[in-house]
Amino acid sequence: MLAELDTIQTEALAAISGIDDEAALEEARVGFLGKKSRLTEAGAGMRDVPADLKKDVGQKLNEVRNAITSALEEKSATLTARRDAAAFASIDPTLPARSLPKGGLHPLTLVLDEAVRILRRMGFALAEGPEIETEWHCFDALNTPADHPARNETDTFYFENGKLLRTHTSSVQIRTMEKEVPPVRIIAPGSAFRRDEIDATHLSAFNQLEGLYVDRGVTLADLKGTLEYFFREIFGSKTEVRFRPHFFPFTEPSFEVDLKLHAAGRAVKWIEIAGCGMVDPAVFTEVGAKRGDSAYDPSAITGFAFGMGIDRLAMIMYGIPDLRLLIENDVRFLQQFRG
Amino acid sequence: MNVSLQWLSDHVDFSEYSMSQLDELLTFAGIEVEGIQSLPDHLVVAEVLSSERHPDAEKLSVCQVDDGSGKPRQIVCGAKNYKVGDKVPLALPGCVLDAGGGKTFTIGEGKLRGVDSLGMMCSSKEIGLGEGADGLLILPATLKPGTPLRDVFPAVFELEITPNRPDCLSHLGVARELAALAKKPLKGIAHHGVSTTPVKAAADEITLSSETCPYYTARLIRGVTVSESPSWLKVKLESIGLRPINNIVDITNYLLMETGQPLHAFDMSKLDGGIVVRAAADGEKFLALNGEEYALSSDDLVIADKTRAVAIGGVMGGEDSGVTETTTDVLLEAAYFTPAAVRRTGRRLGIHSDSSYRFERGTDPLQVAGVSDFAVKLILDLAGGKADPELLVAGSLPDGPKPVALENDYCRAVIGAPLTDETINGILTSLGLTKAGEAWEIPSYRLDLVRPIDLVEEVARVYGLDNVPSHTRATFSAASKADEAYDFMRAIQDRLASLGFYETRNLKLISAAQLSDDLATTHRGMSPVRLKNPLNDEQDYLRPGLIPGLLASASRNQRFGRHDLRLFESGRVFTAPPKGDEIEHEHLALLMTGARVNRSWADGKPSALDLHDLRAVLEQICPEGLNFVPVDDTRLLCACSIEIGEGKKASKLGLAGIVPPARARELDIDAPVLVAEMNVKKLMAARNADPAHADLPKFPGSSRDVAMLVPRDLPAGTIAAFISAHEEPLLQSFELFDLFEDSDGVKLAKDKKSLAYSILYRSSDRTLEAHEVETAHSKLLDSLKSGLHVDFR
Repeated sequence: MLAELDTIQTEALAAISGIDDEAALEEARVGFLGKKSRLTEAGAGMRDVPADLKKDVGQKLNEVRNAITSALEEKSATLTARRDAAAFASIDPTLPARSLPKGGLHPLTLVLDEAVRILRRMGFALAEGPEIETEWHCFDALNTPADHPARNETDTFYFENGKLLRTHTSSVQIRTMEKEVPPVRIIAPGSAFRRDEIDATHLSAFNQLEGLYVDRGVTLADLKGTLEYFFREIFGSKTEVRFRPHFFPFTEPSFEVDLKLHAAGRAVKWIEIAGCGMVDPAVFTEVGAKRGDSAYDPSAITGFAFGMGIDRLAMIMYGIPDLRLLIENDVRFLQQFRG
Repeated sequence: MNVSLQWLSDHVDFSEYSMSQLDELLTFAGIEVEGIQSLPDHLVVAEVLSSERHPDAEKLSVCQVDDGSGKPRQIVCGAKNYKVGDKVPLALPGCVLDAGGGKTFTIGEGKLRGVDSLGMMCSSKEIGLGEGADGLLILPATLKPGTPLRDVFPAVFELEITPNRPDCLSHLGVARELAALAKKPLKGIAHHGVSTTPVKAAADEITLSSETCPYYTARLIRGVTVSESPSWLKVKLESIGLRPINNIVDITNYLLMETGQPLHAFDMSKLDGGIVVRAAADGEKFLALNGEEYALSSDDLVIADKTRAVAIGGVMGGEDSGVTETTTDVLLEAAYFTPAAVRRTGRRLGIHSDSSYRFERGTDPLQVAGVSDFAVKLILDLAGGKADPELLVAGSLPDGPKPVALENDYCRAVIGAPLTDETINGILTSLGLTKAGEAWEIPSYRLDLVRPIDLVEEVARVYGLDNVPSHTRATFSAASKADEAYDFMRAIQDRLASLGFYETRNLKLISAAQLSDDLATTHRGMSPVRLKNPLNDEQDYLRPGLIPGLLASASRNQRFGRHDLRLFESGRVFTAPPKGDEIEHEHLALLMTGARVNRSWADGKPSALDLHDLRAVLEQICPEGLNFVPVDDTRLLCACSIEIGEGKKASKLGLAGIVPPARARELDIDAPVLVAEMNVKKLMAARNADPAHADLPKFPGSSRDVAMLVPRDLPAGTIAAFISAHEEPLLQSFELFDLFEDSDGVKLAKDKKSLAYSILYRSSDRTLEAHEVETAHSKLLDSLKSGLHVDFR
């Protein structure tokens, strides 16, 4: 009996190892382990085995069944793996991708977002105001003389009702101070409008980023440190920044900020990037009169303000030569900024 | 303003400064250097030795010139205005001249009509010294041939003087400023305020009847000889781009540029009686010396004689009262006009002169009599004649600047640097201020120094921000509503970019024609906002919505061959209600057209995008529960209201649909153009701002499919709304998984369609028995049958 079982095992394992397809393997499984198999028959013969041998024979039966079963499983795994591999063998991984449409953000959004992220880390919150403004918010409150040329209809867009399209985002300084009390630490991105014919360096509508910080004890040194940090964050830690004295009606002292531009193939030069200064006390006085309180008493508080052109930042950052590219929305242009 | 370095050196010695050091000195004074004109190499003084007619060209001459080399040089020349012996500019071979438009050309040796020409004799325009007269620039006879022209006309700075510093609108003013900053002595006189001429109150001769001219002086000089100016004066004017006219006019122009005080010389013989300074009569006509006739108004100030206006005060003289070759008696005007009046007139009439430029920014009244003296002296020197012993004066000098008190602690507090009293006082003193007790006396030319902060500015400017240590400080800031809106939109922008959309940014100003593309205006009575003074008729309205711009962008891209487009834009739109303030909203709009995917090996004939693709994108960026509710709107095909939620509580975000193909074809687009526009505030309000956890279902659900045959024109949305409204607590969700129509009417009647839904039933507290599901499902079917008259397949 034991010898027969050895024979069954030997023959079965030899047969299984020679099998090469899954149908034959299934046939072999039925043949070697099924109800009519020699092994099952041998199992049925257990009742004729003398009692003293039953234990050994029973053990042997199990060993043989296990050996055949694992040989079948092993073979099955091999065949399945071969089939799986064959199923994907014809794939050419070097084919171009199936197409998903590609998209991207406008370069102005990308530049503005970077600026906003940096300034938010510095504790500035966003603020906004209307683009159709009153002359008071755009000029009077910003200490601009009544006969200042910027108010001319040749320079500024007006509406029949006397309102205008804001010529700078500085009007948001006023809008914010009307509503909030110091400390005020805000940035305001937005459109501004000037009555310029459109060409490579002028747009009738352009994008600015305004900043304002009003509190007790704000100094010119704070303004300098803030803008230096900002420009080094955005253009790199080695960025050189200089402050040139300038004039704006609503800040005093006023400065223009220049950045040393190192563009490939061009001479290194200083380029104007922002205007800034300490909020003119006359602006606080005007806001205070409108509010009817002393929250902006110029003898108690100081502040700094700055403004820069986002279009200009984008031109510098990406080397864009012509402002019109920013409003034409040619996809061949837009897709260059996907990063 | 053009400032000549040589002219400046009349007042300050900058000989040891390089051009870039001077540039920096000016820049950090707050005077922007817009350009530096300096003459090129190989441009020298030459003397014309002979001039003969070109053998083959009537209009050309062949000249031999002395270029200083000792050997005559042959030049072919077309000009006619020179004579043998004249000194002229000569560009030698290798000289690079400006050809305009950012281009240059290099002088070489060549032949003109077969005759050698070894250089070029130049006009003032050709060497960049202003328009000048036609023909060659005739140089002073005293110059030696071979002298580099750069030594005759040294560098000229083009300066931008900020409006607060009219005192720098002259060579003396700039020199005074630079001398203070460079700590250098000012040569000669620092201020022309000193007059030695006795004054005669001239109530008879001069009538002042306008407040806009508080102070007027006149001096009569008889028997002058009007002629060409001497070369030193002509060179001075030419060096800064002014055209010499005659000695009298040149003297007034010279002093304007030297001192900033405008002067005007009248031909006494052309004045009828005394001077009247008065407001113009409304409609009064005036022929100015620029040849233009102006209609004046009572807002304008004129200088008149008994019968007519002879000058617009502070702006421009008259055509027929100025000094000419025949003039013998000159009346020299020196006056102070109030800035606002000159500005108003100049702007209204559109005249801008060197004179009005200075008056409207503010001149130094104390200088008037002194500059008049200076001019008279020069006239007597250069044109002879005899001046009246007295200066006729009418009116009185306006008050000079008042003293300004400055607490040095305030100065330190604003600047944020530990400046010593010595530093602060030293800076103010160097600028010509004098300490008088607690306050500072302000020089009469510094009209901008009125308040303590104005003095702080001076200290900060001169001290330099470079020397102020940087400091930073921060305040915690709470997120504002604007922050929230910004972040909301940024997230949507990123999602749309991931979905294959490019962001556009169109101009906010559009044309009247583009208004018809607008979808945003939905309320009757709202109208687009129109500019009063548009630049042109392409940009005369503020956009009421974003679609006009998106369509323009799509059209432009089509023309460049890009047919498959997914574009979006977010930004402000504008509308005006019948009464009250204009309304500004933030909108978001999408545009899709072309193929659903790019043609590729995987899909060689991709299908065109349709409205359902647009809806799929909207579902990616909108809150759950998006519905397209068909509306009547002729601006679109398949116009749908974009809504979140059902029925009356639904939030209406905007409009979606298909641009009428006829309009699309006008824009060169052949495929369906799908568009949607939404109000961002409403979109933000509709979102679930505070998502919260809900327990996951513990028990399995059971689904049943139902296929129904319905009229082809029954919207799926009606069925969906019906099922949603069906009251069955076990009904969890449903999904349309099959839609079948047969336009040929073979498998299905043409006027029918088959819709198959999978309906999921589930209870939160038990596994449902089959019969419970069956009961619930047949109730739904009964309800569909009775409510919508559907047949089941």
